[in-house]
Amino acid sequence: MARTNPLMISVATGDSRPISKQIVDAIRMQVARGELEPGMQVPSVRGLAQQLSINPNTVAKAYAELTAEGWLQPRQGLGLYVTAPRARFSSAERERRLAEAIDRFVNEVVALGVPASDALARLDDALRAVSRLSA
Amino acid sequence: MSNHTPVIRTEGLSLRFGDKMALDNLNLIMDPGAIHAIVGANGAGKSTLFRILLGFLQPTAGRAWVLGRASDALTPADRGLIGFVNEEHTLPSWMRVEQLIAMQRQHYANWDQAIYDEVIGHYDVRARQRISELSRGERAGVNLAVNLAQQPKLLILDEPTLGLDVVAKRAFLEALLYSNTTQSCTVVYCSHQMDEIERVADNLVILERGALRHTSPPDDFRARVRYWIAEMPFRGPDPSSIPGLLEVQRIDGLHHYLVLDQDDAFALFLQQHGARSTQSMPVSLDRAVNGFLAKGHRMPVAA
Repeated sequence: MARTNPLMISVATGDSRPISKQIVDAIRMQVARGELEPGMQVPSVRGLAQQLSINPNTVAKAYAELTAEGWLQPRQGLGLYVTAPRARFSSAERERRLAEAIDRFVNEVVALGVPASDALARLDDALRAVSRLSA
Repeated sequence: MSNHTPVIRTEGLSLRFGDKMALDNLNLIMDPGAIHAIVGANGAGKSTLFRILLGFLQPTAGRAWVLGRASDALTPADRGLIGFVNEEHTLPSWMRVEQLIAMQRQHYANWDQAIYDEVIGHYDVRARQRISELSRGERAGVNLAVNLAQQPKLLILDEPTLGLDVVAKRAFLEALLYSNTTQSCTVVYCSHQMDEIERVADNLVILERGALRHTSPPDDFRARVRYWIAEMPFRGPDPSSIPGLLEVQRIDGLHHYLVLDQDDAFALFLQQHGARSTQSMPVSLDRAVNGFLAKGHRMPVAA
């Protein structure tokens, strides 16, 4: 079973961002940097409130926003977990990112002068290997 | 009392001291289950309001209700449901802490020793110590622990951290915020210290000269105030013509404005008055509240 992971963030009063927004920004940044990985459990509302010396309702508000945006996901009775990236993007956003990734790949391969059939076979192998690992 | 009865309600509450209105037609509603922070300059009427709410003072006009009961008809049982922590942390100085606890336990039917023990755990206070031997911070801790252990429905804290050092202040806020009592009661928290208010408040109430000026969650209030800087080669608009103006300053040839309730149309207003460029940004809660309260004190009278 996953345990709560420490959340190394701090908030400041007197900032032009509300404290709940500071928490949202900090967690999104940590997920983006890979410091918080998918499947990690974040602290409880009360726990993070105590860590930061703030009203628990402020943490609850930040967690609600992160959940609505798909960064965090509740598991029944267990707490909140960092979601896998695929759940975080809308279908339009996924489409855009996929197009971008293919574009990058094609550009590199073309520059190498490798035949398309060879490149496709290698790509197929690589993708199968990843899905075997995560299956 | 149903869940929706306001914990505090006042209607047209006024109190006149000589020719000065300490409270001026104050209409206030405080919903149950939240931490309400009251801010206001000195003399805004906070202490007067509490004295009326607790039945120690009669208003000149208007009415007030606490926990659904008229404030001039509170019974001893009603009073048992109200906790009050003041800045002086007035406790009988000759008593030992254990004697104070024994006395409170007798007076309050809902006394919960476990809550007292948990809260006092934030402090190094011994049962055999006399109140007079405690530091100001420790006295604040005992006062808070006693009030939370009584399990009030309404807890009023009037500048409770005034004069406490940073360590004692932090211990006080933590003891308050994470107590089970706080989760189930309504807290009215008066303070001039905006960093505390930012940490604790669900709702912000701004009083000025005895009247209610604003009430909303703190972040909503902060969003009403914005800071603009305009590059204006000339004198700029007459302050009295500037919509929502809270503060104006001219620094190094740039015009700085703190304004209330202005959207992007304010940029247009500045441009119409000769601004070559404009920029704006949000402000901290501290800046927003101070600007709001300073209005009328620093504004030049329209020439």
